[in-house]
Amino acid sequence: MTRNQIRITLLSGFALVAALIASRPVAAQDAKQPYPNMAPIEKYLMDRDAEIALARSASPGSISRDAEVLVLGRHGFETAVKGKNGFVCIVERSWTSAPDPDFWNPKVRTPICYNAPGAHSVLLRNIKRTDLILAGRTKDQVDEAIFAAVDKKELPAIELGAMCYMMSKQGYGGDTVDHWPSHLMFYFSQTDPAIWGANLPGSPIIAISDAREHVTTSVIAVQRWSDGTEAR
Amino acid sequence: MTRNQIHSIFLSAFALVAALIATRPAAAQDPQQPYPTMAPIEQYLMDRDAEIALARSAAPDAISHDASVVVLTRHGYETAVQGKNGWVCWVGRGWGAMFDHPEFWNPKVRAAECINPPAARSVLPYAYKRTELLLAGHSKQEVIAAIKAAIDKKELPALEPGTVSYMMSKDSYLTDYGGHNGPHMMFFETAKDGAAWGANLTNSPVLAVNYWYISAEAYPQLKSFPPLSVFLVGVAKWSDGTPAPSM
Repeated sequence: MTRNQIRITLLSGFALVAALIASRPVAAQDAKQPYPNMAPIEKYLMDRDAEIALARSASPGSISRDAEVLVLGRHGFETAVKGKNGFVCIVERSWTSAPDPDFWNPKVRTPICYNAPGAHSVLLRNIKRTDLILAGRTKDQVDEAIFAAVDKKELPAIELGAMCYMMSKQGYGGDTVDHWPSHLMFYFSQTDPAIWGANLPGSPIIAISDAREHVTTSVIAVQRWSDGTEAR
Repeated sequence: MTRNQIHSIFLSAFALVAALIATRPAAAQDPQQPYPTMAPIEQYLMDRDAEIALARSAAPDAISHDASVVVLTRHGYETAVQGKNGWVCWVGRGWGAMFDHPEFWNPKVRAAECINPPAARSVLPYAYKRTELLLAGHSKQEVIAAIKAAIDKKELPALEPGTVSYMMSKDSYLTDYGGHNGPHMMFFETAKDGAAWGANLTNSPVLAVNYWYISAEAYPQLKSFPPLSVFLVGVAKWSDGTPAPSM
């Protein structure tokens, strides 16, 4: 299972998302391979101020106001705003945050705010992944490079307490799942999801393990968007 | 149900935000202490079968069906049902809250909870010990001293990573305040406070409280306890799958 398949599996755990997926002619889109290659870099870039605002919308303003903000440049993510509270907000792109059919979808914009342990571990992987993608590596090459870096401990293990907020009302998850429910994600060094009762009928926790990256990710839907409005 | 009411419920559900308590207009409801002392033990006990059913209702049946269930007796908790999946479901009483919580002795509190194996091994022993000592007639100060001694001697375990608790019962009574109940998950962490998770900030869906105390002024020895924070995230449905009021 690829990283992005894991992503979509997690998201598919949400009833809303499942319904969205079910209602879409996915097979037909897959057959056409709407995004077979990387688009010109310009299509992935954003206006800097708009990107900062979108990144911050991932969490309540009480958190993102003092967070560091990264924006995408031609060679990778760079710091646009220095933070004070350890959180880092970012708008991730398709190659780290969308299902496989949308891997190169230039419209994908997924705002995320990581807490400090998440920024020290999970985010570093996505930054490296982005660097490699923008340097022209293929998807498979990037996967192998990340797996190797994790195995060699060039990328740190998942830090205890790593989590992130994905509560933006905005953003675009891709053609497969255009908008995700408001949710929190928690990361652990590889653990059996059963330990949390995840993925069982009625459980509010969706979780999946990625053996190659030695990480288990769990998701809990929350009831409001980052601006406090109701999300259900 | 307002957000502040939810906060209050969460706090009563074994941890609460000191600031909210401090700022809450509690005087109108309880000028001093609504429950200054322990009520007769009978008021805390339940019919055994009803307690088993309530305990199991804390989590979806897929979890609680194979969980162990413990029930309260006159001398402490005892296993009523031996489980198979490592989870333990139980019904907490008021004294499961922070030692200075105003509803510590509230005999109406019935906090159904199912906790996962790491929490059963590393959090539940604290609740058992506290309960046994209190039911034996020890004062809060004595209980605090005994727990501290047990921690120092490593008779009580250190917190394991990956602990989680389901509190999704529709039938719990967590507090006198507000709607008395709300479905949520709890995570136990060795954090000093909720800052690392962005808890207790405006519009954050994460609440965090200290496991031991609200202010520690009444029981200063609690400040020397190992840091233990409880993080709470509200969820949309009760354990039976029906929707809960929006938080």
